[in-house]
Amino acid sequence: MRKRGNGQLWRALPILCAGLLLLLPSPGAVPVAQATPAAADLAIRFEALLGQHSVLAADLMRSRIRGDDDFVQAANAALGRNTTDMTALVGQLFGKPAADKFSPLWSEHIIELFAYAGALAARDEAAKGDAVHELTEYEESLGDFFAGASQGRLSSAAARAAVVQHVGHLTGQADAYAAGDYAAADDLYRMGYQHTYDLGLTLAGALLPPADAGTLREPLWRLRSQLGKLLAEHAVLIEDLTRAAVTGTPDFAASGDMINGNTRDLAAAIDTLFGAAAAKQFQSLWADHTDHLVAYAQAGTDQAKKDTAKTAMAGIEQRLGAFLAGATGKRMGTGDLAAALRKHDAMLMRHADAYASKDYATAHDVAYETYQQMFDLARTLADAFGASVAARLPRGGAQTGYGGMAATVSSRPGPALAQPTPAQPTPAQPGR
Amino acid sequence: MPPAVRVPALAALTLALLGGLGWEDQPRPATAATAGVTAGVTATALAAPASAPPAFHSDRTYDAVAVPVRLRIPALHVDSNVERLGLQKDGTIAVPGRTDVAGWYEPGPRPGQPGPAVILGHVDSKTGPGIFIGLSAVRPGTTVRVDRSDGTTATFKITKVSRVPKVEFPTDLVYAPTLDPTLRLVTCGGSFDRNQGSYRDNVIAFADLA
Repeated sequence: MRKRGNGQLWRALPILCAGLLLLLPSPGAVPVAQATPAAADLAIRFEALLGQHSVLAADLMRSRIRGDDDFVQAANAALGRNTTDMTALVGQLFGKPAADKFSPLWSEHIIELFAYAGALAARDEAAKGDAVHELTEYEESLGDFFAGASQGRLSSAAARAAVVQHVGHLTGQADAYAAGDYAAADDLYRMGYQHTYDLGLTLAGALLPPADAGTLREPLWRLRSQLGKLLAEHAVLIEDLTRAAVTGTPDFAASGDMINGNTRDLAAAIDTLFGAAAAKQFQSLWADHTDHLVAYAQAGTDQAKKDTAKTAMAGIEQRLGAFLAGATGKRMGTGDLAAALRKHDAMLMRHADAYASKDYATAHDVAYETYQQMFDLARTLADAFGASVAARLPRGGAQTGYGGMAATVSSRPGPALAQPTPAQPTPAQPGR
Repeated sequence: MPPAVRVPALAALTLALLGGLGWEDQPRPATAATAGVTAGVTATALAAPASAPPAFHSDRTYDAVAVPVRLRIPALHVDSNVERLGLQKDGTIAVPGRTDVAGWYEPGPRPGQPGPAVILGHVDSKTGPGIFIGLSAVRPGTTVRVDRSDGTTATFKITKVSRVPKVEFPTDLVYAPTLDPTLRLVTCGGSFDRNQGSYRDNVIAFADLA
């Protein structure tokens, strides 16, 4: 790592290194599961952690650009926790040797991203060039690591391209943020999250044994992963918006556009599952939920306004819980769902309060837990939604022929008769 | 930095910083350079507004994908209107009323929307070929276009074709919900059961959004 022109980097290095100390490979650093969870289960958690890494790294870079060193420290601690969790999963999924190689490579690319942000803040082109040079090295090293671990299922070129894109999203959003182009910065922020989350599927698909990789492509696992991506992103983006609301920063409007994009995506997902009318109803409730959370954050020290927002949120929790319970065909109860939403709201309010009081460590801790809670809720919902939809799917095959061309049809070259892949035995196939 | 020296270097650096700078006990040093940088950036791009941000209003609409009206597969000489299909009383999927017209399963996703859209076509009539007579021979990479009621077109590429016994139809793989915008084309195949008056198998072409 180069130091030229990086006085401010040196100043922050202790922060980074303290977070990274826990990540250095050491005997027993990677937890060994007592009861091995399914590889697919670990893999979708790996996806979620990768997505979380992207937003935490972006937040770290942005706070460095702002010169908000207290936030930098808390963001780095969260990023260190994320890397620790990811390293543990890499160990469980791909083995301890892979985890031991992954951890330092991953940590050092974070350090160079931080150096890049520092160079942007200092408008130091030489330091920026140094950081880019180092990042390029790590892109190659990380790409080669993933390609090597895949035992030929992922080419070095493809792996490097994926890492290059990840780094490009992060440096690009930092460039735009430093230039005050918040709309562009936030476009890249969302893009980076989605790409890095999906990178987890690419890596798991290449690094896992083929049977496990195939499981990840089954509909139920895809739905778990995809709903997890959308709902966990909601947590990230509403926190970004409430932070902007608390401090009245000029990226508020762009941040609002980000959460609106996520809300539209969620509504489109409900449309896919339950139709346009349900999507419209859901979006209205979800919009109310978001609006009142932002109102809570904007209320500042006005307790009356905060109480008004909390009362409104309580009503929405109940109505949204009832809507979701109906969507699951009562596989989940209104009470349980309302309670989960109440917990979600409480965590987000706590995050906003902690941020407003500059207790960034607590704000980041709560944000980390909120992300996990939404990912877990998404998984439960995906199973219940899947079961609800499965109950009304067509039964059996389609009668799409009358036999007039039977001789031709039966003798035509075409696909050999295949035994279909058995469906995952989950609650998603009741009554079928 | 060579991988062999990265970890020791980082470890040594960490220990030196933690020990030498007394990380746990001392406040982080404030440098003039940092202060200047912070002020410079804050004064330009990141200046806070004088007033609080306005109230936030979430979007309450989304871009719904329009329904399909036409199916085009040039490689199979398919160019057809698309009718809407639902379920029959026995829970099986309804089929197009004509053998030269394709049908879209309306309770499922619309083509191009997140999720698996399903379009059916007959392989034959009692006297001649149906619209999907060539589906079993379609090659991966073949282009499928679906025109929609708002004038837009969703373009897909066939990824694989499979033939399965109807009694073991893979409902999950064809219809089960995901948020991947995909398309499944379904017709009959295999041998014809004269007693039942139907083909024993279904041919399924899987396609991804191009």
